[in-house]
Amino acid sequence: MKKIITILAFCLASILHAVEDPLAFRNDSALVAEDVSFSHFSVFLEGGEIYPMGDLMDAVKNALYGGVGIHYTYWKDVDGVVMFQYTYFKPRPKIYYDGVHQFMGRVGADWKWKAIHPVVLGGGFTCSWTRADADEINYAKPGGTLTDNETEFGWYARISLPVFKYKEYSAGFHVMWEQLWTLPKSSNMLYAGLTFERSIW
Amino acid sequence: MNSLFNKIIAVFAVSASALWATVDPEMEGMDVVSRDDGTFLIGSPTYYFDRKLGSGGINSESELWTPRKLRYRLLFNRMSVLPSWDPIQAPSVWMKTGNELGDLIYQDFITDVGNRPTNRTPILEVGVRTPLFHGFWATFRLFQDDHYCFYSGDKYRSKVVDDNFAFFGENWPMFSSAYGGLGYTNDFINASLLAGMEYIWLFTESSRWIPVRYKPRVEARADVGDFSATLVFENAEFQNFKKKETGERKEVNGSVVYNCGENCKRGMLQLSAGLAFRFVNDDGTVYTGLENDRVLWPFLEMRFKPMDQLKFDVVFGVNDRDWLVQDSVEYQLPVLEKMNVTFGAKNISGTRLNPIADTHEYFDGDTISLTASGRMNLLQGYIRFEDSLTNFLGFGLRGSFWAEHGAETFDVEKFVDDGIYTFRHGDVGRINSWIKGVTGEFWLKLWYKEMLNFTALTGFERIDGKEKRFEVNPSEFFVSFSADWLIKKTFRISHSLRYRSDAEWNLRSRDPYVVKGDWYWDATFEQRFPKWGLSLAGTIVQALGDEVIEIPNGDFSRLRFFCTAKKAF
Repeated sequence: MKKIITILAFCLASILHAVEDPLAFRNDSALVAEDVSFSHFSVFLEGGEIYPMGDLMDAVKNALYGGVGIHYTYWKDVDGVVMFQYTYFKPRPKIYYDGVHQFMGRVGADWKWKAIHPVVLGGGFTCSWTRADADEINYAKPGGTLTDNETEFGWYARISLPVFKYKEYSAGFHVMWEQLWTLPKSSNMLYAGLTFERSIW
Repeated sequence: MNSLFNKIIAVFAVSASALWATVDPEMEGMDVVSRDDGTFLIGSPTYYFDRKLGSGGINSESELWTPRKLRYRLLFNRMSVLPSWDPIQAPSVWMKTGNELGDLIYQDFITDVGNRPTNRTPILEVGVRTPLFHGFWATFRLFQDDHYCFYSGDKYRSKVVDDNFAFFGENWPMFSSAYGGLGYTNDFINASLLAGMEYIWLFTESSRWIPVRYKPRVEARADVGDFSATLVFENAEFQNFKKKETGERKEVNGSVVYNCGENCKRGMLQLSAGLAFRFVNDDGTVYTGLENDRVLWPFLEMRFKPMDQLKFDVVFGVNDRDWLVQDSVEYQLPVLEKMNVTFGAKNISGTRLNPIADTHEYFDGDTISLTASGRMNLLQGYIRFEDSLTNFLGFGLRGSFWAEHGAETFDVEKFVDDGIYTFRHGDVGRINSWIKGVTGEFWLKLWYKEMLNFTALTGFERIDGKEKRFEVNPSEFFVSFSADWLIKKTFRISHSLRYRSDAEWNLRSRDPYVVKGDWYWDATFEQRFPKWGLSLAGTIVQALGDEVIEIPNGDFSRLRFFCTAKKAF
């Protein structure tokens, strides 16, 4: 009977949202003991070139990018990834300013699938924050929407190939496809570049 | 007997699992956006129509007062969780941000200025609750939802107020709230005192959006043993910049309640009782009014359970103006225990669905009465059964018949146009004839350990009666598939794919406004870090469906994405 009362109470509590704790999983001692997250941690620098794809090829020129990131253990063969990058896009059509600052933040995961070692597959969500390099805010002109802060989310898929390893250092190539959920059409870009990584623990 | 217990436990475990299979709401109280079991139409975070198929009657859930909503917010005449001033219970720090999808970014360079899509708008929330220090804690929260706002903000509402009417940005969001305060918690007492400021747009019976600035809003709560008390002070500032009108309402509201405690719940007769109250003092142009500037609402809750299979529930409230009874009886057939067959009946009768709401709205020289003479009666009978076929598969169904007389509605006298909006004159009235409905729901549940909970749910409803044009003619059919995946116990994917048939607004525009049926898909992806008490989540809402306005004078319901980070102390 105690079990029934407990479960009923739980159902009721869930309905009322009275004691809902979205972080309740931290109280599961067995789960905490099994948790391998952050058992390894590394930082990386990377840079390369962005190639606009599809319709976006008519909008902006290729651009260089660079940034920093971290890798942390999430599961045994899966790393969590957080990236921050910067680029400066120059418009192809005649716009009344030189270019646009873009900051990118990404959260995702890298799967170190043994069958294709050392290739690593990754994917996740991306958020790009943009602001035109303009002194004048003129919303009505072409490019005007970017004179205010504009943000858009999207997703990315990535292949990394670390070809060089020495002690706690590694280096390699990466190729990444990114899609921002813009309108009237989505914006697709291909990234290609180099990664230098150092394991911290 | 053990098998009976196991069966009941299994059924309730399955029922509970359905509650876990939820997509994260963008704000507390906006769960309705991803609800899949009826008609849920959202005009803004501060106004929506929420009616579960099979609940009976033609009104939405948020229009009905119940003791469960004592600490909800009263938004004009609806009880709403949002903007929630419930202190977050877990000592933690959290942040949430997101945006409607579809900004131009570099598409701007190749899109004609005249063909630009409307600006997409964000949400933002940051907050903290400290760990206990000798029982004391502190909290702070700032939250603002800029969805459902830009079109009407740009075209109309920005001209009604003298500033941005928000803590951040220039989107004229439908609400923007910030509060901070202190609390004290031990085994016997849970008390808090919060103070803050809030911007909010209230949707009224005339179909206007009325801006209200609460400056300040102060809320004190105390739960001591089986007693709970809430006391709120609001200094509400009203304005219409276009018409050079200003007004102010000082309001004190709250409740005192005795809850049936643990010992009480073991008894055959379980009683709770309380008093809800509001006192207002209006000065200048305030667009709504409360008769006698006060309402006192004493109420009683009773459960009588003479045996395990039989229970009676009653909620009764009465004052000098209104009365409201909500009662039900439920009986589980002992002869078919394996099938968990339940018969039930419910009744809602009263003079008003929400007896603590304002009684008048003032609109261009017209006084709109928000109360109707006479009373409403809703009767419903239902049968429900649920069974688990194996230890990974269960199913159930529920069928009901309901009839309502005197349903609250709005008697429209005339419509007037103002810019993008159509307003209405008239009074709240009743449909003094019987409206009848028959409903059916069927669900199938599949689960595997803690890894998967899946529910397929479908329902239909046929409504008939002499009067066929209600405020909202609800959807007649829905189907939904929702699932919660918990991979390696630390990665959660919750998603909901659903279809709802047409719904129709009849009384807020000259011609009926049909919200077309559509498919929707919402999903949450969450990384959990048990050792660190950390959660990172991303949620996509309103995918697949067309971006439409779901309520006359409302704003577009758009595809959006938001991410949430929470860290426990």
